[in-house]
Amino acid sequence: MSDGVCITGFFPDEEACLRGIAAVRRAGHQRPRVCSPFPSEHIPEALGLARSPVRLWVLLGGIAGCLSGFWLTIGLSLAYPHRTGGMPIVSIPPFVIIAFELTILFGALSGLVGFFVHGGFPRLAPLPGYDPRFSGDRFGVLVDCRGADRAQIEAALRQAGATEVTCELA
Amino acid sequence: MAVPKIGYGDVDRLVLRALTPPGRKYWAFVALLALTVGAGASTWMFQVWTGLGVTGLRQPVMWATYITNFVFWVGIAHSGTLISAILFLFRSRWRTPVYRAAETMTVFAVMTAGLFPLIHLGRVWFFYWLLPYPNERWLQPNFRSPLVWDAFAVSTYLIVSVTFLFMGLIPDVAAARDAATGWRRRFYELLALGWRGTDEQWRHFSMAYLLMAGLATPLVISVHSVVSWDFAMAQLPGWHSTIFAPYFVAGAIFSGCALVLTLLIPMRRLLGLEDALAPWHFDNLAKVILLMSLVVTYSYLSESFMAWYSANPFERTTYQMRYWGPYAPLFWTMVTCNCIIPLALFAPRVRRNLKALFVISLFINVGMWLERFVIIAGSLSTNFMPSQWGVYRPTWVEITITVASFAWFLMWFTLFAKFLPIVSMTELKEGIPWLRQAREDAGARAA
Repeated sequence: MSDGVCITGFFPDEEACLRGIAAVRRAGHQRPRVCSPFPSEHIPEALGLARSPVRLWVLLGGIAGCLSGFWLTIGLSLAYPHRTGGMPIVSIPPFVIIAFELTILFGALSGLVGFFVHGGFPRLAPLPGYDPRFSGDRFGVLVDCRGADRAQIEAALRQAGATEVTCELA
Repeated sequence: MAVPKIGYGDVDRLVLRALTPPGRKYWAFVALLALTVGAGASTWMFQVWTGLGVTGLRQPVMWATYITNFVFWVGIAHSGTLISAILFLFRSRWRTPVYRAAETMTVFAVMTAGLFPLIHLGRVWFFYWLLPYPNERWLQPNFRSPLVWDAFAVSTYLIVSVTFLFMGLIPDVAAARDAATGWRRRFYELLALGWRGTDEQWRHFSMAYLLMAGLATPLVISVHSVVSWDFAMAQLPGWHSTIFAPYFVAGAIFSGCALVLTLLIPMRRLLGLEDALAPWHFDNLAKVILLMSLVVTYSYLSESFMAWYSANPFERTTYQMRYWGPYAPLFWTMVTCNCIIPLALFAPRVRRNLKALFVISLFINVGMWLERFVIIAGSLSTNFMPSQWGVYRPTWVEITITVASFAWFLMWFTLFAKFLPIVSMTELKEGIPWLRQAREDAGARAA
């Protein structure tokens, strides 16, 4: 049986949380997990995270939407060539409007899908170490480690200003 | 400005107390709204069964109350996206407690607006003819028609607005889940999709939200421009104008911000949100309204100037009829409501007086509805041939359906405000370090 544990340090604000992350990383755990009640610019920096790939989803979705818009309007106008208002069958200016709307639509929807895929939604299994206070007024630094490292991590978290430290089996 | 002292925990208490189980008065109000919606739905069924002859629509005015309602409700939706997306990109702090309500208003306003093109159809069961779909004769919609652009623009707007609202709600619903018990907890658990606020989730959330705000910004401008082209692309005097797109977008933001005030001022009191929605938030909203009122006034003057300067007799006649014809009382009421009354907002005292703001917002709502009516029905009533001129008057059918549309909108908004967080807790918490800094700066200045 594995001796893995999840140690959670509770911090009252963002600054203290950043100290906690630094302390855990100094103790040799480069990638603690962090839970916070709101997004922070500094936490991803402290964890050394790269920019989210969701932007690529939005870009590709937008390009696909734009191409679909032109494909739809040009293709269907050629398939049903009905001249109106003296305009050519393939009238680009009005088709740009449809292509624009579909660019936005596909971009937004693929952004949502990207967010779901990378964020792991829907997440049905409980998250080890999660505490309901993390959606309220507490920041959590969660470290998955071996039981042997527990004392060292707990000490690092307390030194960094954790108001409470808990431990549960991972 | 006194900067409030507030902690992260206070934010949850402040917002979640609005979600306490509602009392009898609340349900009685919802029931009244539902009954009105029922009356509107029955009237619509009567119209579908009998035909559009039960309305006041007669040649030459074949677009009137229903299309006015459509443009009005699409316009209302715009301020929500302005406040939630455009001001988000500008990092305007004052939008934080207001934006969720405005965004919610957007979704329900587009839902209401979308009904009117259908209600306006004589044979509503053929509504899908506006959209391309596979059929054995390869008949396809005319993509050069503004009505088809409209179908694409408004459906995109509805889907993107719902997506944007839903995404922003996820972290707040998770906070509500963690504080709730019983069926409410299960309900919030379902909506939160397992949100835990981890660094990975926030990283992807922040990027997706930022980009969605970036996409919603041009979208909102395009949607009301497309709505304006429903008119401007036609040759009709009073409609055929190049200024219609910016004119309609400004009008949309103007009317939408006014409705935000109309809803938020009573809601603030009824849901106990006085601490979250401070007078300075309303002050800033009033400044936006004042600016938009000036833009709208400028547009009215430009329109009239262009009619005069063009020396086109048809244009001139249309505008003369607008000022002195059968719709003149509506036109001058509109000018009073949209151009004169909002000038009171130049006074800071008025901008911070919520009762005064509420009354002004009601006038603007009336004025902006009339503006659309005057443009749509007024221009159609005096077309190129004086022998065809005619005056439109709505019947009880259109009036009932219009009243019901307000009830429909309010019903959804009332239900949302009591069961889901109407103020974003996440963004309020995000603003706390900024508030602390502002308090320190204010202290330093005082010292």
